[in-house]
Amino acid sequence: MSTTSQKHRDFVGEPMGDKSVTSLSGIGEILGKKLEQQGFDKAYVVLGQFLLLKKDSEMFSEWLKDASGANSRQAGSCSQCLREWCDAFL
Amino acid sequence: MSLFMEDPAHFSKSRLKSELVAHNVVLPPVKSRKEIYVDLHLKHIAQKNAGDFSSDDEDQENDLAAKEEDAEILVQSCLTDDDLKAVLLKHGVKAGPIVASTRALYENKLRRLQQSEGQGHVNGVEKGVLYSDSEEEEEQGEQEDGESGSEGAKEEIDELSNQAQQGSSQNGDFVYPQCFLLSSRMRAHATRKWEPIPKRNSRNGIKSSQQIPVGITKASSVDQRSGLGSGFPSGTHSAVSNGGSSISPQQSFSITEMVQEMEKRKSLFSCPNTERELNGSNVQEHWSRFNRPDTPIVDTMKNQSPYYTPKESPYKMKPSQEPVKDTIKEMFLNMEASPTGICATRRRPIKGAAGRPVQYIYPDSPTTIERREVERRLVPIHIQILVFFIVACLLYIIYVCVEENSFNPFVALLDSPGQGSESEEGLVLQAETQVTPVISRQE
Repeated sequence: MSTTSQKHRDFVGEPMGDKSVTSLSGIGEILGKKLEQQGFDKAYVVLGQFLLLKKDSEMFSEWLKDASGANSRQAGSCSQCLREWCDAFL
Repeated sequence: MSLFMEDPAHFSKSRLKSELVAHNVVLPPVKSRKEIYVDLHLKHIAQKNAGDFSSDDEDQENDLAAKEEDAEILVQSCLTDDDLKAVLLKHGVKAGPIVASTRALYENKLRRLQQSEGQGHVNGVEKGVLYSDSEEEEEQGEQEDGESGSEGAKEEIDELSNQAQQGSSQNGDFVYPQCFLLSSRMRAHATRKWEPIPKRNSRNGIKSSQQIPVGITKASSVDQRSGLGSGFPSGTHSAVSNGGSSISPQQSFSITEMVQEMEKRKSLFSCPNTERELNGSNVQEHWSRFNRPDTPIVDTMKNQSPYYTPKESPYKMKPSQEPVKDTIKEMFLNMEASPTGICATRRRPIKGAAGRPVQYIYPDSPTTIERREVERRLVPIHIQILVFFIVACLLYIIYVCVEENSFNPFVALLDSPGQGSESEEGLVLQAETQVTPVISRQE
């Protein structure tokens, strides 16, 4: 992934606070809704899952695909943005 | 064996709950009674298990072939979190916390890993389940070593042990294999393989010898399956050929049969290797039995006992064990085999200690060197005394001289004012004398 989306840069650029799950890069309206149904309503909940998986992008992508039906690109984008956020703010 | 399969009512509520969660069953409201959990358990889990597993020991030998796949999956889902983690670790995956939200992922991962490892390694799970971590190295070693078994036998045994594993891991209900008495030699071989079972499932008591076949086939299956792609040619052939011929999975076993097999195996194997037989090998065998907990030592023992058991012999080719081997051999060179298996050796003197000439003189410590240096510079004591007397004499002579000559310089100095007064007096006298003649002249 050579370039990053605007959404990605927005998310990585600042603490996530109470941002909703849809502010994650790669998570749009539909995926966001699916995640919210499973209780992942905030970005930090998804981050929690990401951290539970020991920041393993591969596993996280796997989970995201399972949980929300995201495709590989979306999952990869989301995990990358969470990883970079962790690098910056953890 | 499958107490718990059949009677979920004996479970604690929390356990039921976790079981249900593990099976992705929607939990009833928090305050619901245990019966509800039990019902759910029966409905969702027991059914599934009943479909997949024969619920009793006797059935283990039967429907083996059909259910490998299901078994695998179910084994995963019935692993505890810790077990799952351990199994993953054995596959080289460092699992994070296994909680409700991550468990499914890790199970998937494990399944994928197992699939990718192929049919031959399907029983990786089994090993993971059955063998504790401490045994793992050994298992791995064996896995690497002897391999080449006849494929047919291997498959069968795979299935059997797989089934056995299902039973054991599912039900958590195990037998202490040690409950029967084996010949000492046998034990050296067999208990090694069996120990993990009770270790992991020690809460259940001795049940019956029904479980024995499982243990045996497990051991043998490990023998045969172990070490795909191993690079150690020697010893493996005899190991596997013996193992393959000895145990056919479908038949039931008796202890005596087992013992015979072991003996046969051993004798077969010892033939080609007699020339390599160390006089300590028997003892080492015994020794290894007594020291099983520390695996590396056991392994090195195995290095030296070529006919110990077929399975272990490949270890002697293992380069990594070489360094240890020498010292061990040196230590136990003089040991002799004893029929009881208990061996005692005379205490041997430590090298360089009493009874031997000192072969090596330790370098002096810095302080002794320093002291020696100082001593070298010191004048011998008689010279010191001589010098002392010389100096004393010199001082005395000087004193005496001073006494004698004291009048000369000091008295002169001291007397100089007296001399002065004397001269004055002299002058006065002179003056008087001068006056007197004057006076006398005047007179």
